Amino acid sequence: MEREALVRIPSFPLAAFLWPARSSVSQWELLPLILMVVGLFRWAAGLWGYSGFEKPPLFGDYEAQRHWMEITTHLPISQWYFHDLEWWGLDYPPLTAYHSWICGKIGSLIDPAWFALHDSRGSHDPTLKIFMRATVLVSEYLIYIPAAVIFVRRFSRLSGVPAWTSSVALVAILMQPATILIDHVHFQYNTVMLGFVLASMSSMLAGRDFWACFFFVMALGFKQMALYYAFSVFAYLLGVCVFHRTNIPKFNIPKFIGIALATVVSFAILLLPIVAGTLSEASRGITAHPGGAHPPLPLFADLAKHLNTEAFYYPVIEQLVQMIHRIFPFARGLFEDKVANFWCAMNVVIKLKKYPAELLQKGALVATLAAIVPPNLILFLRPNKHPGLLPLAFATTAWGFFLFSYQVHEKSVLLPLMPMTLLLAGRQGLAKDTRAWVGFANILGCWTMYPLLQRVDLRVPYTVLTLLWAYLLGLPPTSLNAYFQDGSSIWSQWATAFIHGFFYLTMVFWHVLDMFVVAPKDKPDLWVVANVGVGVAGFSLCYLWCLGSLVIESEILPPSWTGKEAKTKSE
Amino acid sequence: MAEIYPSLVQCAIVATAFKILLFPAYKSTDFEVHRNWLAITHSLPLWDWYYEKTSEWTLDYPPFFAYFEWIMSRVARLADPAMIRVHNLEYDSWQTIYFQRWTVIVTELVLLYALQMYKSILSGSLRAAHAAAVSILLSPGLLIIDHIHFQYNGVMYGILIASLVLAKKKSSLLASGLVFAALLCMKHIYLYLAPAYFVYLLRVYCLPPKSSPRSIFRIQFLNCVKLGGGIAAIFAAAFGPFALKNQIPQIFSRLFPFSRGLCHAYWAPNVWALYSFMDRLLISLAPRIGLPIKADALNSVTRGLVGDTSFAVLPNITPRMCFVLTLLFQAIPLTKLFMRPTWEGFIGGVTLCGYASFLFGWHVHEKAILLVIIPFSLIALKDRRYLGAFRPLAVAGHVSLFPLIFTPAEFPIKTVYTIFWLVLFLMAFDRLAPAPTRQRLFLFDRFSTAYITVSIPLIFYCSLMHGIIFGKSYEFLPLMFTSSYSAIGVVGSWLGFMVVHFTE
Repeated sequence: MEREALVRIPSFPLAAFLWPARSSVSQWELLPLILMVVGLFRWAAGLWGYSGFEKPPLFGDYEAQRHWMEITTHLPISQWYFHDLEWWGLDYPPLTAYHSWICGKIGSLIDPAWFALHDSRGSHDPTLKIFMRATVLVSEYLIYIPAAVIFVRRFSRLSGVPAWTSSVALVAILMQPATILIDHVHFQYNTVMLGFVLASMSSMLAGRDFWACFFFVMALGFKQMALYYAFSVFAYLLGVCVFHRTNIPKFNIPKFIGIALATVVSFAILLLPIVAGTLSEASRGITAHPGGAHPPLPLFADLAKHLNTEAFYYPVIEQLVQMIHRIFPFARGLFEDKVANFWCAMNVVIKLKKYPAELLQKGALVATLAAIVPPNLILFLRPNKHPGLLPLAFATTAWGFFLFSYQVHEKSVLLPLMPMTLLLAGRQGLAKDTRAWVGFANILGCWTMYPLLQRVDLRVPYTVLTLLWAYLLGLPPTSLNAYFQDGSSIWSQWATAFIHGFFYLTMVFWHVLDMFVVAPKDKPDLWVVANVGVGVAGFSLCYLWCLGSLVIESEILPPSWTGKEAKTKSE
Repeated sequence: MAEIYPSLVQCAIVATAFKILLFPAYKSTDFEVHRNWLAITHSLPLWDWYYEKTSEWTLDYPPFFAYFEWIMSRVARLADPAMIRVHNLEYDSWQTIYFQRWTVIVTELVLLYALQMYKSILSGSLRAAHAAAVSILLSPGLLIIDHIHFQYNGVMYGILIASLVLAKKKSSLLASGLVFAALLCMKHIYLYLAPAYFVYLLRVYCLPPKSSPRSIFRIQFLNCVKLGGGIAAIFAAAFGPFALKNQIPQIFSRLFPFSRGLCHAYWAPNVWALYSFMDRLLISLAPRIGLPIKADALNSVTRGLVGDTSFAVLPNITPRMCFVLTLLFQAIPLTKLFMRPTWEGFIGGVTLCGYASFLFGWHVHEKAILLVIIPFSLIALKDRRYLGAFRPLAVAGHVSLFPLIFTPAEFPIKTVYTIFWLVLFLMAFDRLAPAPTRQRLFLFDRFSTAYITVSIPLIFYCSLMHGIIFGKSYEFLPLMFTSSYSAIGVVGSWLGFMVVHFTE
């Protein structure tokens, strides 16, 4: 792309839109305009319906988030994690609860009926919808967007990418259709968690390791799904302690202890409100169980034997155990619904349900470990080799988790997509090869979420936002511009074009089938299963591409193995 | 010719994506108006169109628009047959919404085509012409009025621009006049601009060119016959079928309902808004300076929501006074156009006709501001003096459209989009407009900068602070502020442009 900046013609429409800003326009004039445009698209997409709109009895994610605002503003803090599990019981970590509390407090100032205890369940007041949409947008603009802007700026500078090119990448990252569709249309607050992860990655690039810990703990504290990245965070930080600025191991013990302490302190900050609240309420006689009962601990039942249930600290233990119990529902199955995940696809071939759950859990664990060890080993050995390794390792690890772990939701595809899309801001990020693969992953990701979106009549925003992004980045189905460039091997180009072309055609064909052909009566889910199968295959390729790029970029293998040497010479 | 990026088509594609996302947005009664017209033209014989009154939204546009609705109704039948039943009032199934919203987007292609024409014909700075074309294509006025509020201005302003562009070349002057005549038969609001066309075509097409040694009154008869005959044929095509059955008086009573009040429900930002504002100020001052107050007028004025405005202190305004003032202020710039008929002068004349009718007209709707903004955009980049007059108009005109959309969900869209457009294009125009050949009006530049700065606290107060301080009471206050503020901007930019026009 550095070379492309000299070219007289923008190579894809998004570059054309920023074309007039190439010279003489400062990035600080450009940034407010970019933020206004991406905000407009988010808000306009939010005019469409949300999950569970007028779909009793349980409604959907929207109701879950609204309900948490209801309980956190009305119940004592010690009862938050004990309240009615059946009606969207709080099962996210405490930062989500605090966030719900703030949103609920503000919303109650506008209209207390929105969050009236018990009476507000399933409310679909149109003004409430606007308020809820606004909370998503404001949360994103406070966390994800600043983090993305700072990350892209730093990442591009470290990768030697010019400022204008990095602005193009920033727009591409902020217009990612999957994130907009899930957060601003279908309804959730994933961008808050993703924003903290971005802030953590940005701190890593800046060498502020303690902040990296803090932000990552906040991400985990907002949504446990951030665990997908935990191994990479761990591998990186450990790598920095061992291989700081050199390939020769030299264990930096003070740094290691510092990082460990920062993590502990961050967790303490995260838990402080709920622990302090529980203690203070216990002293005033308010307990987690309004009835006055003392049920046993839901997990670690043996623990209670060693503890005095009347001690002052017991409510805190109970609170934390209950929280873990809610956040990690080990009792659920291998996968929910139909997800483009390895196990769900396998289930079509072999009925996995006939195997004991424990065996499946072990199988999932082994497969996931096998998938995530290689990228994290590389990150551990080469933490500061070059900035592009960080998003690559994060993406590979998240793909590994998404494909092989246990209890995956189709929306989790946002996790691998986020770091993978960041590659656009890196070296050669907007050149054809990276753009083609990042685009492929994003469009495939949106496509696998189509069954989820069409259930709540969101076909139009799905189509518009996905095609718009494909158009802006010059990707199929709107253009073939991302394939075939001079300079790299003709074989790999044809292979990429052929494989991607096959998947894009399949996606289009699938949409035609889904629209015009009714699935056979005995297999009502046939189209969804087909979607899952294609999705798994495509995502596996994305995993392999990320892993392959990581291996090549890290130069961890002898040059003769990867052909990198020849390439460097030709450059 | 090297393309300038982003191209018009690229902008149109991204804008279309945004407009489709706006499908579920708020829509005004105009949506039902147009649905009703689809139903009328589809299900009734031609001669019943202007008599049908099942719905209160009777057909009150000229026949070409009715034909336009008739063509769309052929397709509407395929989308949802229930939409085109006359008795199906307030019908808005999702098919109806999708269909009607799509028709607005598709017919707007005319605007895109006209803007391409504008770019290809202009000789001066290509970059400036491109920026002006993109600014019209992405106009927040069109977005708010057409794609949220619901109307078909995109197609009609497209036709207007095509006609203005055709007037540039001598060979296509006739076409320009005929296209404008057809536009008049589609929506009669463009009559406001007709005097400029009349003067310009008369001068350059019907009378001999100035350079010719013969008398100015040596008329080019052949041209007169072509133009007159062409216009007559177009009017015959539009009104002929109705004239056969003597329906012209009925049509005219629909097109020109003179019973309406001076100010629309909301005050369009014109001279009368300032007049009303003065009147309101005088109500509190009158007892001290000993002016009589008309007691019966007090009630309606304080509401600000008036069908038939009557003033408490100042003398009342009659339609005749409006008409005379409008014509007077149209005539002044048109004499200049007659003396020195250039294309830029013609566009300036059209713009000033728009200004005069907007500022002094009877029952002007705030949407009519596009009659000024869009022709003006075509010449705003001529030099920095033009731009100086254009800037307050761009701010005032668009801010004055805000009260059209009053629902909270669309509030961020109208404000953020308008601010985005203003920041982007005022910044871009500022870089592209060349220095003027004549002395600039320095005081005017100061005025326009100060004026634009005031808009920020004003929008903030009207949209947020007022609700927090007063709640639901004094609802007319923000409207009055917006309208008076915008009126000052429009009047100021009018005066500024008059000066530019006459010193050119």
